[in-house]
Amino acid sequence: MLIKRIHIILFTGITGFIFSCSPKNISTKYYYQNEKVLDKIEETYKQLNQWAPFTIGFTGRSFTTVSVEIITDTLSYIYEFAVDDPRLMDTLDKYHPSPAKVFELIKQMQSIRCTWIRNLDYYVDEKKNSLIFMSIKPVSLKAPLSYHKYYVLTYFQQPQYFDSEGRLLDKRKLRRLRKINGEIFHRINDKVCYTISGNFR
Amino acid sequence: MWILFCLQGFCTEPSRHPLIKEANVTSTREQAIAFIGKIKELDPSVYWPNIRPALFLQNLKTNIHNPLSIYPGNSTNFCGYGAFTYLFLQDDPLGYAKLLVQLYQDGKARFANIDLNPSPAVQKAAGRLRFKGVLDIRPAEQMWFLTLAGHYKGYLNLFNRKYDPGDENKFWASCNYAKFNRMVRTLLNFKVKAKGADLMRPRVGNLYEYIRKKIETGTVVLFINNRIVHKKNHVTIKLGVPTHFIIAEKISMENDVITLVYWDYGHRTLMQLSPDFFKRIIFGITYCTKRVRDAD
Repeated sequence: MLIKRIHIILFTGITGFIFSCSPKNISTKYYYQNEKVLDKIEETYKQLNQWAPFTIGFTGRSFTTVSVEIITDTLSYIYEFAVDDPRLMDTLDKYHPSPAKVFELIKQMQSIRCTWIRNLDYYVDEKKNSLIFMSIKPVSLKAPLSYHKYYVLTYFQQPQYFDSEGRLLDKRKLRRLRKINGEIFHRINDKVCYTISGNFR
Repeated sequence: MWILFCLQGFCTEPSRHPLIKEANVTSTREQAIAFIGKIKELDPSVYWPNIRPALFLQNLKTNIHNPLSIYPGNSTNFCGYGAFTYLFLQDDPLGYAKLLVQLYQDGKARFANIDLNPSPAVQKAAGRLRFKGVLDIRPAEQMWFLTLAGHYKGYLNLFNRKYDPGDENKFWASCNYAKFNRMVRTLLNFKVKAKGADLMRPRVGNLYEYIRKKIETGTVVLFINNRIVHKKNHVTIKLGVPTHFIIAEKISMENDVITLVYWDYGHRTLMQLSPDFFKRIIFGITYCTKRVRDAD
């Protein structure tokens, strides 16, 4: 009897530990815990991206190497620098009207382990729309069972439609799930959705 | 047997259709623009129930006026067909336009002695692919990529040969190196010299110099390991296999840094890489020249 109880306690403890670290748990809380900084990054990026389109990502695990893609009408330029490399500012100076603000954004992203930010086009009824796609590698997602997971947020410009389980729909009349990068997204509020993904872009 | 399949990309086999004559297939963009300009309206096609004719025509015009705009779609395995279409539009834009119009109107087409006869499942799917970026509103490209993927088969398609919805993202649509070269050889008026394979890097001596020289005299397609070029996660150990086709347009080297300008996914990209990294990512080099000239 005693052994059975020990087994039950051990099983409950291990299961509790595993699920306390699971992506599902973090997804429900992470956005609201970091809402201000996440929204600030999105807002800053949206503004700077209008002036000159670009994407930013941290391709290394140490979050010290930044990958910058500058998109022009004729060519996209992809560069990778250490964040403190002077060539980063030189490059931003050359391609963006507000290099200091872009650098500030990079530092902000680094501080919360934001792995990628970009503007993404999508189509509804043949009309082009855009959203901001942002992925984060929160410290909590370093747990053993969620090692390669990323918390991905999408910021839409218009309110979206969701099914009864809070999953993002293609449009109101068509009850088809909308996938972004092959992933199903869940509602945080009318315009912001999240998913947990194995990829940051 | 699998290794034999992989090694197919190594050989520089002659064209399987030696009877193709340049005059039959090569054209200019102006000819294609004139041809497509004469088509004011298309009727709905019974073969492609989900393709809106006006959108199809608009898509065709976009491709012909701006071949750079070819977009294989997010999360699909169409990149090989995208690179192939880019070559097609360089070599024979009029042939491309006529072929796609014929395919749309008749549900099948014959080109360069090849019969393209897409399955009913493919015909139903074209025009309905969604969440692929701008490919969502490009039914002509959807029709074309699905038709190519349905017709040409390689060892990667062995276990998924019949199209089911969603297969555009799966092995059904995958394109190995030998299959890509086979498509170019059989459908286009190019002489192809291929170096490399799916699992082995090309042995060409100085890789940078080899590619630089080939770009000067022909069109160069590179088969690269995109998993390490455009990282999608922070996994340290990545499978060393090629996954993506790009068209190399310019290459230069200064202070031991290679600057590569290439086309993929609807636009040109400039990227700087070290010679070591460059060597790591290249698995295949396809050198295409017009068939009238010697590819050497």
